[in-house]
Amino acid sequence: MKLPAHITPPIRRRPGTTSDRTPVYAMVGNPNCGKTTLFNALTGLRQKVGNYPGVTVEKKMGTTYSQHGRPIQVIDLPGAYSLAARSPDEAVLRDVLFGRREDTPQPDRIICVVDAANLERNLYLVHQILDLGRPVIIALNMMDMADASGLKIDPAALERVLGVPVIACEAVRGRGLVELRLAMSRVELPLARHRWDVPAPIASAVAELQAALTEGDARSPLVARAEALLLLTDFDSVRVAGSKPLSPRTNGILAHWRQRWTGEGTDWSAALIRSRYDSIGVLCRGTVVRTREQGPSVSDRIDAVLCHSVWGWAVFGVIMAALFFSIFSLAEPPMDFIDAKFAGLGNWVKSAMAPGDLRDLLVGGVIGGVGPVVKFLPQILILFFFVGLLESTGYMARAAFIMDRLMGKVGLSGRSFIPLLGSYACAIPGIMATRTIENARDRLVTILVAPLMSCSARLPVYLLMIATLVPGDTLPAAKKAGIMLAMYALGTGGVFFFAWLFKRTLFKSAPPHMIMELPPYQPPRFKEILRHMLERSWLFLKNAGTIILAISIVLWFLTTYPKLPDPAATATEQLAHSFAGRAGHLIEPVIKPLGFDWRIGIGLVTSFAAREVFVSSMGVIFGVEGRDEDTAPIRDALRAARWPTGAPLFTPLVCLVLMVYYVFAMQCMSTVAVVKRETNSWRWPLFQIAYMTGTAWLVCFLFYQTGHALGY
Amino acid sequence: MPSSQKNLSALCSLPPGATGRVCELTGDDSFCQRVREMGFGEASLVTKISGTSTSLCLVNGTRIALNHRAAMSILVERLPDNAH
Repeated sequence: MKLPAHITPPIRRRPGTTSDRTPVYAMVGNPNCGKTTLFNALTGLRQKVGNYPGVTVEKKMGTTYSQHGRPIQVIDLPGAYSLAARSPDEAVLRDVLFGRREDTPQPDRIICVVDAANLERNLYLVHQILDLGRPVIIALNMMDMADASGLKIDPAALERVLGVPVIACEAVRGRGLVELRLAMSRVELPLARHRWDVPAPIASAVAELQAALTEGDARSPLVARAEALLLLTDFDSVRVAGSKPLSPRTNGILAHWRQRWTGEGTDWSAALIRSRYDSIGVLCRGTVVRTREQGPSVSDRIDAVLCHSVWGWAVFGVIMAALFFSIFSLAEPPMDFIDAKFAGLGNWVKSAMAPGDLRDLLVGGVIGGVGPVVKFLPQILILFFFVGLLESTGYMARAAFIMDRLMGKVGLSGRSFIPLLGSYACAIPGIMATRTIENARDRLVTILVAPLMSCSARLPVYLLMIATLVPGDTLPAAKKAGIMLAMYALGTGGVFFFAWLFKRTLFKSAPPHMIMELPPYQPPRFKEILRHMLERSWLFLKNAGTIILAISIVLWFLTTYPKLPDPAATATEQLAHSFAGRAGHLIEPVIKPLGFDWRIGIGLVTSFAAREVFVSSMGVIFGVEGRDEDTAPIRDALRAARWPTGAPLFTPLVCLVLMVYYVFAMQCMSTVAVVKRETNSWRWPLFQIAYMTGTAWLVCFLFYQTGHALGY
Repeated sequence: MPSSQKNLSALCSLPPGATGRVCELTGDDSFCQRVREMGFGEASLVTKISGTSTSLCLVNGTRIALNHRAAMSILVERLPDNAH
């Protein structure tokens, strides 16, 4: 098919040989088409994969090797339906392909990963990418699923029509990888025989814009043509062109044509998209055969229950209840084991070393600080196992579907719920996942409320307080799970309240449209889940061995020095005399109305680094007081803690108030740093600290004072 | 037949199990563009699976979830049950 005469054809250049430098491949495709699985299979890396759209939100780079052992650089890019980017993650794809990212080399070649079961829709992005005139390899992924849905695709026919290598593969099972690597190893790749008719009323505008972009905006001819088409598809030219403003000439041409078409009643954007789909329809006619009509699939039958307006909620509730019950019922034996080992280690050090500061440092600072945190590893692993199950089966997208109605009541859409659900594990990936949200205001609201979801770092604090709250382990696991569930519900309630408040005050905007693809259900990939659990365990233990250990040692020093001259002074008198004791007394007036004394205050301050530091701080502070006795579980030390009046410090009311404080307070430096990066300003993280910690103080004040007045 | 003469209804009011042909998109430009790019444009066939406030639909073999506002912006012509 020939281009009309007024359109400058893409330059037919032979791709350069790749002998002089490492070739760079970009891996692109629609969301959830298996790009990262293929990337991991090629590079041997272990980037996170999941069965829901939007797992990859930033570029990932890796190296694979050609059949001759030469290195090939591969960039895994976030999924997108179109080069006309709508959200920050889609903009990454466009900017890398257009060579706008200074930190990323412009790719020489592109691997288009295509979900064979949704060929037409996936070819829309491929169609746009072929406009760029770069060598392309098409990886027809998920061929098994296409087959199961009654589609027979002829890769050879598609290759003949397009003129680029088309490789059938199943990335999950490693099929087609050898062929793909062979194609990537070719010194030269053919350019696509890709031609399509830009609708006649628009063709002149494309040519004019292409010329203006080439001459006035310093774009290469092929990028200029692709960008001209995007400028006519997307109504937001700033979004297409990026931060660098377009030249007055380009803007003038764009304004002229838009004004003219608006006057004529021409829907140029719709005409361009339709024209592409017409071209794709012709492509598919000769390459895809539907062998049978597909009845309701397994996913359809499961969705009939899980997406049902009543049953869907019931199943969601059962999943959450099972998660919290498992945390208590399954983790107890390994927790007791870890606890006993640390206690044994502490006692052994005490018996093996002569009394002195070094022994106190090892027992009270190192073992007493790190041990109580490491003890909670089994429960954190159970949490990540459940989150992994939800992510790999495809349930995450269903949870967003179920929650959409509720999210709509506060002015957000179900799309915001995926980052929020992910924040149950950790707020940092949750905040990064907001990049899939198209509306900037909705994205900011989601970022601001995401840390209210109870993350895994709060788990040790909740568990310690529940253990302290219930003497002698008399409460059944179901009731403990109930208290925990109440804390998670309180955090989730806070998310809805503040999202509602922000959407009605700071970020007023119309309720968003939500359109989201629900992937087919997949059996859980236990290997991936296990690997993710191991990675999180390593991260947790690394954190315990570095940050928590360092803070524990510093805190031990601050609680030990300066020493009282009187050797007969009690441990409590010594603690009050120490640096930490003096600093604690300074902040006590602020926290005393919440039922907290200065020792708890030190824990609140140190745990701003990370919430679980509160547990280690309690271990060090109350370990100092009881350092002459045998090493005992921290909960027993907390139960024995007293106010100077002799009244117990950790009453059931104070334990609950402390848990409520940690539900709301912003106590995580890493989250603050990520929010700063994602919003590109200090304004929002500081606002977040103020509103979250302010709310924590106010709610705890009301809770404690009411409880106290009622005699608790 | 011009769209004004067809019996059009919003996608959200299509009963579960019914199939319709998309005839008109009434949302803002950005939404219409994204819907079209996802293969959900005018003339495409859509089967409603479930939902009233949030709709679950099947388009070209892909399950798509739409919230009420989005489903209100897509006008469809209901097809007879055996038409597709």
